Amino acid sequence: MSLQAGEVYHLLGENGCGKSTVIKIMAGAHPPSDGQIILDGEVHDELTPIQSLDFGIETVYQDLSLIPNLTVMENVALGEQLVEGHGRLLRTLDRARLKETATKALSQVGLKVTAELLSTIVSELPLAIRQLVAIARAIACEARLVIMDEPTTSLTRREVENLIDVVSKLRSRNVAVLFVTHKLEECYRIGGHAIVFRDGQCVAQGPINNYSRTDLAELMTGRKISEKRYRTGAPSAETLMVLDRLEVPGRFRDVSFKLHKGEVLGITGLSDSGRNELALAIAGIKPAAGGSISVNGKPVRIHSASESIDAGIGYVPEDRLSEGLFLDKSIYQNEIALILRKLASKFGILDMKKGKEIARDISEKMRLNTADIELPVSALSGGNQQRVLIGRWLSIDPEILVLHGPTVGVDVGSKDAIYQTIQKMAEQGIGLVIVSDDLPELLQNCDRILVMSAGEIVADLNGAGANEDEIYQAMLGSVQEGAA
Amino acid sequence: MSAAGTSHNQAAANAGPGGGLSGLIAKRPEFVTLVLLMAICIAVTIANPAFLQPSTLIDIGRASVVTGLFALGVFVILAAGGIDVSFTAIAALTMYSITLLVQKYAPDLSIVVVFAIAIAGGVFLGVVNGFLVYTLRVPSLIVTIGTQYFFRGGLLAFIGTTWIMELPGEMATFGRLSLLEFETANGAIVSLPVYFLILPVVAVLTWWIMRRTLMGRAIFSLGGNPEVTARLGYNVKIVHLFVFGYAGALAGLAGIVHITANRLANPFDLVGTEISVIAAVVLGGARITGGTGSVIGTMLGVLLVVVVDNVLVMVGIPSTWQRVFVGAFILLAAAFFVTRQRKFKPAK
Repeated sequence: MSLQAGEVYHLLGENGCGKSTVIKIMAGAHPPSDGQIILDGEVHDELTPIQSLDFGIETVYQDLSLIPNLTVMENVALGEQLVEGHGRLLRTLDRARLKETATKALSQVGLKVTAELLSTIVSELPLAIRQLVAIARAIACEARLVIMDEPTTSLTRREVENLIDVVSKLRSRNVAVLFVTHKLEECYRIGGHAIVFRDGQCVAQGPINNYSRTDLAELMTGRKISEKRYRTGAPSAETLMVLDRLEVPGRFRDVSFKLHKGEVLGITGLSDSGRNELALAIAGIKPAAGGSISVNGKPVRIHSASESIDAGIGYVPEDRLSEGLFLDKSIYQNEIALILRKLASKFGILDMKKGKEIARDISEKMRLNTADIELPVSALSGGNQQRVLIGRWLSIDPEILVLHGPTVGVDVGSKDAIYQTIQKMAEQGIGLVIVSDDLPELLQNCDRILVMSAGEIVADLNGAGANEDEIYQAMLGSVQEGAA
Repeated sequence: MSAAGTSHNQAAANAGPGGGLSGLIAKRPEFVTLVLLMAICIAVTIANPAFLQPSTLIDIGRASVVTGLFALGVFVILAAGGIDVSFTAIAALTMYSITLLVQKYAPDLSIVVVFAIAIAGGVFLGVVNGFLVYTLRVPSLIVTIGTQYFFRGGLLAFIGTTWIMELPGEMATFGRLSLLEFETANGAIVSLPVYFLILPVVAVLTWWIMRRTLMGRAIFSLGGNPEVTARLGYNVKIVHLFVFGYAGALAGLAGIVHITANRLANPFDLVGTEISVIAAVVLGGARITGGTGSVIGTMLGVLLVVVVDNVLVMVGIPSTWQRVFVGAFILLAAAFFVTRQRKFKPAK
């Protein structure tokens, strides 16, 4: 593949297709086993991080790669002085320049730069700001190629708009930008070239507007996927769960809704709308302070995650890596994590054979791309990890399943599998709550969509009839009134 | 755009340490050390006003030098996310072998040269540590336990086990060189020795390296996240060699200070005091998990340990109880810092 100055590229492909490896090679973090990298006509067999930075290749990593114990200013601007000295460490810091560079870069990504922000330790920042800080670091130096690996996962729409601005500014300064993303709408909005990877090979490269969404999805997965609505069934009339005036002070208040058996209910809103806290309250992780929840007509007390599970409510967390999975344990051990007590005999000895049977069954249902249930979960791609996590709940037959951002950082093929599972679960009478900011996902899957804004439910829309614009307006509605 | 920025900055402010006392403690944990130190000093002064005499203060200053030098080395390694327990063995090995060499071949050698050789020897042994930690990719605790045994065993097996009571030339006089002299009420003369100056000089140098050079930032960075540090283009190998080499240099220096102050070279000395040095650094607010700490905190931690070691006797607490106190302080400080950190952990 080849990249030219001043152009925007979108590197597309399913999880595990080799995108991240290509990025690491370009950034010098990982040597290639074969082939060459040609920079300005100069041939390299491999790059070191310093060579790569020296040439002007800056990367916003998916994990952000910020140093948690240094300040925002240092994270953004230290690289400049490091690269200038070609990696030599025995030199004094130019602190005035450190501040100047950091201030410039941070204001470019739309942060209000204060002395307090500059001296804040990065680990104390919320995720969205960390992401902006990581982007600021990439544009702080005179970059010639900026690589961004899923830079918008935790940004709100407004911040994404701002990022798109930053990209067009970079472009006008003849900087090349390489995006890695799963969000196709953003790619179309930004424009430029698409580079599609499948199974470690580049299968297509060309102007993105020459491809339709379905073309791209097909190129990525190698099979036909339509933008159809997954939801085909209908909820039963039987009420499953009732939330009555649920409240967490300062986060959300007066949240009441009913969930029917077999219903798929979507909840969305901006990241500070209270939707995340609502999900955590239902799951018992951060219990509600006021209001009540009842399941099957009986009020339930949910003050901890285990009480929530006892009430028949399952919860698939947003951050699967740190909150959901035992990464170094096998698929099998992850999938039976909820039923260990059931598998144990009188003497506390686990029935491994039965456990493995159940795990195999779950893996099959979730269409994992490996049959080896002994494989550690960390060896799987993001999409497959998410399937393991959702599959775990199948083992206890929950009545209600709350899915928090079920396809964040997941590729098209895995999305398809996850959506099909969601629908299958709904058909079995499970009530599903999807908390997500992926609007097409909600529109494709839900019977109803509740929109939250500033801690309250502001709209209750029919999933089949609604469109993105309508939801977006509802999300912003009260915020804009407040700001104006 | 600006609205988003503001709301985020507010969120940052909320998530970060708040203002007031608790914010100060979260940001500057050494504040707690200072308060604890002052509380002890005040309590001791009330119980026995003799504490504030210049002679006691000079005693404390004198006793802080060796521990302080060691502690600065440990702080630098802790900041980089490692730990070192071999520094006392490095000090013992360099001080004893250099004394032997000077005594045998160059009894008139200038003390400055002696220090230079000791530092060079310390750097060499420290770099061995750093090289092993980097190439073996083994936790530094394991490596330095190994090298501590190795260095000390080597010293006792091959170099010597007898005390050197008569130090050669300038090594004998340097320890007596005084900066200030006082006559106490009872007519005795107490003096603040010249070697006391070494500690503030090294402390300022360490502060400068850690705060004002790219190396200092690389060291904290390594302690924060080693993988990312390498990815960002820092030469992680050089940083490893530097921190262990630097700690080795300070150990070499501390060794010579130790023998000139005691006017005696005892090969069995020093090894065994590692834990109290590490305790001092941790009491100064550095986390054992790396990436934090400050020179000021380290110095306060050292003072705290030295004061407890030296003055509890003055208020009638038997010396055997000193360890109980140091232990209690460490547990107290640890519990305190941990609860603070939990409190200030940003909400997800």
